[in-house]
Amino acid sequence: MINVIGYHTTKFGEQWNKSLFDLISEAIHGVIKEMKIDKEEINAVFFGNMLAGILENNVHGGSKISEILKTHVPMYRVEAACASGGLAFNLACQYLNANKNSTVLVVGGEKMTDYPTPKVITALSAAASGEEQEAGLTFPGLYAMLARIYLHTYGYTEEHLAAVSVKNHFHGTFNDKAQFQKEISIEDVLKSPYIADPLKVLDASPISDGASAILVTNNRHIAHRIDKKMTVLSSQAATDSISLSGRAYLDRLDSTVQAGNKAFSDAKLSPIDISVAEVHDCFSIAEILAMEDLGFFKKGEGGERMKNYETMFGKTNGLVVNTSGGLKASGHPVGATGVKQIGEVFLQLTQQAGKRQVKKIKYGLTHNVGGSGGTAVVNIFSS
Amino acid sequence: MLEDPEELQLLIFSHHRNMYSPVKIWRRQRKLREYLGKKGKIITWTKIYTAGEGRSSEDPYNVALIEIDDHTRFSLQVIHGYEKLDFGQEVKIVLRKLHQKSHEGVIAYGIKCIPL
Repeated sequence: MINVIGYHTTKFGEQWNKSLFDLISEAIHGVIKEMKIDKEEINAVFFGNMLAGILENNVHGGSKISEILKTHVPMYRVEAACASGGLAFNLACQYLNANKNSTVLVVGGEKMTDYPTPKVITALSAAASGEEQEAGLTFPGLYAMLARIYLHTYGYTEEHLAAVSVKNHFHGTFNDKAQFQKEISIEDVLKSPYIADPLKVLDASPISDGASAILVTNNRHIAHRIDKKMTVLSSQAATDSISLSGRAYLDRLDSTVQAGNKAFSDAKLSPIDISVAEVHDCFSIAEILAMEDLGFFKKGEGGERMKNYETMFGKTNGLVVNTSGGLKASGHPVGATGVKQIGEVFLQLTQQAGKRQVKKIKYGLTHNVGGSGGTAVVNIFSS
Repeated sequence: MLEDPEELQLLIFSHHRNMYSPVKIWRRQRKLREYLGKKGKIITWTKIYTAGEGRSSEDPYNVALIEIDDHTRFSLQVIHGYEKLDFGQEVKIVLRKLHQKSHEGVIAYGIKCIPL
């Protein structure tokens, strides 16, 4: 049995005074100290990061973490665009399935605010196909093309999309680690300028710095001495064509459908069993697609149900989605996001989520996407 | 020489411009010529208002996902001057300059589309 036994995250946002590895060091030392784990008990490290190589000529991060931790254990850097953190966790689970009595550290981090926005936009677009880069497609642009099809096919408007950002900003007000802790209105979203029509600034997650770390173990002795833990019921990854031009469907992300179906089947659970989920809302449309692709909503219902705020904290006895504020309000340091999502579900399932604690919960889910859906990771946990 | 920060910056800069490598442009262009003049239809599109590095002077610009008769799909920039796009609208693939002159002095030509 694999358990997540601890979580620590830096605040997300613009952090002038901290480098990528300052942030990573803070997250790692935070989780080790809080869990009273001896670093000698860590058998391997999985590091999720996308942009350090492109933006700051900085790769071989595992060895840099070795310098921080002063240990010689194997370290694996995982890159799958914005799913780097989620895929690092998935790989950690594979490692634990292959190695008994082991404990691993999964850390994700990104430093994005040191550079002018066009440079970050271009760096992020490295996760799109050459053809898409050549056409000048940015990530907002790719999701905008999906949004246009979704709105047209199911008869929704930009107001339906805006409701996602309103909900996630509301959740962000309860999270002191979130980049934005301020409510916004539908009108605010609709009045914000377009970045890629039909998506606007307030439909999009921000550029952020941050790092998050979790400890994961299948060592019974270590799990036994820690009270607050959650069990991994399934961790599944799936892929799809990198280009939108190679996709069978444009009103869904097939990688999410595949990973989600496998995860529910593996965990022997249904969407109705889940009480808290962190889904990948890099853009408002992405949360709507995720809710449908994971089976929480029927295909085409997402726009309407989002506008009814059915998954908002305090408004439902059922599933609450993105209690951290999601990528939208919590911030999106891309390599950290997938790890932070798991950390948020950990806080919820171990009753440590404070003001945003969802009551009476047993199962949680995380969903992390790379690119425009080229990679998806879905994890299911139980308290 | 490499200790000089400006030298280093230049090296890193030219490294990042590798996407415009003449060899890469040549490989790409060999494939593209067979698509010139093909007609297709718009599947979806967006207007990009915040472009990446080196393209800010071009924005806003439209990009469309199109499908040509043999069902091949492409994401292509729609040439400037066509503001009203629609689902199913007919377009033709044309040859256009893609970037300003690269570090190596090569001008990259490629394909864009023009509404009919």
